[in-house]
Amino acid sequence: MKLLTHNMLTSKCIRGVSVGYPLIINATEVKVNQTLFNSEFVSKLIPKVDWPVLYNAAESIGHSEDLPKEAPNDFEQNEEFLKKAHRALVEIEVISGNLVCPESGRKFPISNGIPNMLLNEDEF
Amino acid sequence: MGLPTPLYDLKDFPDVYEPSEDSHLFLDALEADQESILARSPKLACEIGSGSGILITGLAQLLKNSCAYFSTDINFSACRATAKTALINNSYVESVAMDLLGMFRSPFDVILFNPPYVVTESDEIMGRGLDRAYAGGCGGREIIDKFLATLPSMLSENGVCYLLLLKENNVEDIKEKIRGLGLKGRMVLERKIPGEHLFVFKYFR
Ligand SMILES: C[S@@+](CC[C@H](N)C(=O)[O-])C[C@H]1O[C@@H](n2cnc3c(N)ncnc32)[C@H](O)[C@@H]1O
Repeated sequence: MKLLTHNMLTSKCIRGVSVGYPLIINATEVKVNQTLFNSEFVSKLIPKVDWPVLYNAAESIGHSEDLPKEAPNDFEQNEEFLKKAHRALVEIEVISGNLVCPESGRKFPISNGIPNMLLNEDEF
Repeated sequence: MGLPTPLYDLKDFPDVYEPSEDSHLFLDALEADQESILARSPKLACEIGSGSGILITGLAQLLKNSCAYFSTDINFSACRATAKTALINNSYVESVAMDLLGMFRSPFDVILFNPPYVVTESDEIMGRGLDRAYAGGCGGREIIDKFLATLPSMLSENGVCYLLLLKENNVEDIKEKIRGLGLKGRMVLERKIPGEHLFVFKYFR
């Protein structure tokens, strides 16, 4: 699971949970995989990303590195920033561990890099 | 440009849907509509019920690294098969086990769904195995209808959804439903194979 995906997931549909976001990450294995950088793509992604959630997620698994706490206003032209964003969004990968609902504490196991977010019928 | 059928290897995943006529019709529909997909310059794409993963991987081969790819399935083996298929084809798909798009909070620019469309008894929609690839319940519509109800909130402003349907799903009734949801629809391809008359529709704003 990449942090871009984490940025997009919520446990809101669990019965009794009102926001369910962001999910807590308990990682037992994290990998960094270099992938081809496409500055146009990353700059289009930035407005869709909840930046503080991305920053906190990276920090919570020990990978905040030199990631800025806030996205700069000139992000579209800021190649250096876009490269850091690229790394955080699509290069850092949680291979195993759990995602945890911040309200109910429900755990969603991650194995082989795949979060299992299947709910039982009595949960929603 | 042709859209080659992605390579796949399901030998470790006997409980995953083997790409069939419906899957190939879907790939042909994506190929036929590729100019229109490229023109939308999508950034986030997701396939629901990805099975082997050949549809989302096919899309990834078309759009390359201009877009991020996601997939969901209620069958965990299918999620693993999808991740593997992407890798075999030098692509990357973020696979998540979930029901439809229920755990995503934000909309997608492209949604693909080759749903379980076969008319069955409702109680055949059971478990999380291979039966769920087919069993559509009443009119073959139970999963399709559940999905369509969530579509307006999961489709981005400039987004497009491709959905495969069977004639028995009552295509005319679904057209009405799409209008009622405030979306537009168009048929991309249809094909008659022994025993099934299949369609791929696209929906957008
Ligand atoms: C007809 S198969 C299509 C598989 C693959 N996309 C293809 O075209 O070859 C339907 C797939 O949807 C999955 N599925 C069924 N119900 C689902 C649901 N509610 N949410 C997510 N996936 C579902 C099944 O497990 C199966 O993999």
